[in-house]
Amino acid sequence: MNEFHDTGERRRSSDTPLLITDLIDEETVRSIAQEAWSALIGDDEFLVPLPGGPPDDAVSSWVDVVGPWTGTVVLTCSRATAEELARCLLAEHAPPVLDAEDVHDALGELANVVGGNVKAVLPGPSALGLPELGSIPAAGPPADTCRVDLLWRGRSLTITVQGSAGAVHITPENNPQKNEVPL
Amino acid sequence: MRALVIDDSKVMRRIVAGILEGLGYEVQQAGHGREGLDVLAGGWVPELVCVDWNMPVMDGLQFVSAVRSNPTWRHVTIMMVTSESEHGQIVRALAAGAHEYVIKPFTADAIRDKLALLGLLPQDVVR
Repeated sequence: MNEFHDTGERRRSSDTPLLITDLIDEETVRSIAQEAWSALIGDDEFLVPLPGGPPDDAVSSWVDVVGPWTGTVVLTCSRATAEELARCLLAEHAPPVLDAEDVHDALGELANVVGGNVKAVLPGPSALGLPELGSIPAAGPPADTCRVDLLWRGRSLTITVQGSAGAVHITPENNPQKNEVPL
Repeated sequence: MRALVIDDSKVMRRIVAGILEGLGYEVQQAGHGREGLDVLAGGWVPELVCVDWNMPVMDGLQFVSAVRSNPTWRHVTIMMVTSESEHGQIVRALAAGAHEYVIKPFTADAIRDKLALLGLLPQDVVR
């Protein structure tokens, strides 16, 4: 696990921006996600570090982190996977019929938990934004992106920790186009 | 015993409320701090409040400060249940008047253990 050690030196505005690849690695992100899955989805739920390919009907939820490193933690999966995650998250508290809000909420909460714990290993202090949901956000620059491709129950799932520079999120508000996937 | 669960996530509210109801609590829910204060101001004052940190309208830290500034609600035990896990944030929450702090992700056992520490497990659950 990468750990940030505060040397007491203070950064100047002219300093080179922090890059996420210098602050956290894929294994740490996977480990954080696995802990969230074990606690919230189930003890026997495992995230296998294998790429499953991007789903056709991808939906994403993300939280912004603002601090010495500023960027976004994004959870992306298919609509069907999001529904299954919501059902598992709610378990015995699930209503007979899940509505779209339940699915949005569940995916947002998972992004929130993973994002909050990613933030905890980054240099602070940092602020965590509220979860947002939409189509896959634009990827940040590769040097400032830590991407983990996982399989959960054989379904593809991606967690991306990406710097904010140049990244423009596509939301239902600013892109009501054909790639929008209503839940 | 009564508990108020405040979280902007309906899913998370259901989960926390479900755990507490399983322990014998009567539970009400609110979607943000302001709604939570409205519940208290309406006269439904619980022994326990479980409150998230990051919420729209009024966040958890503002809620804790508001409750602690009202002598009528001084006896209410507040447990923050949040994904904010930075040491500095935990210190801020406790300094503002929260009694306990549960970091998401959590298990039902973690909630139960914290309630036991606070002496807030209903007697028939303790036995």
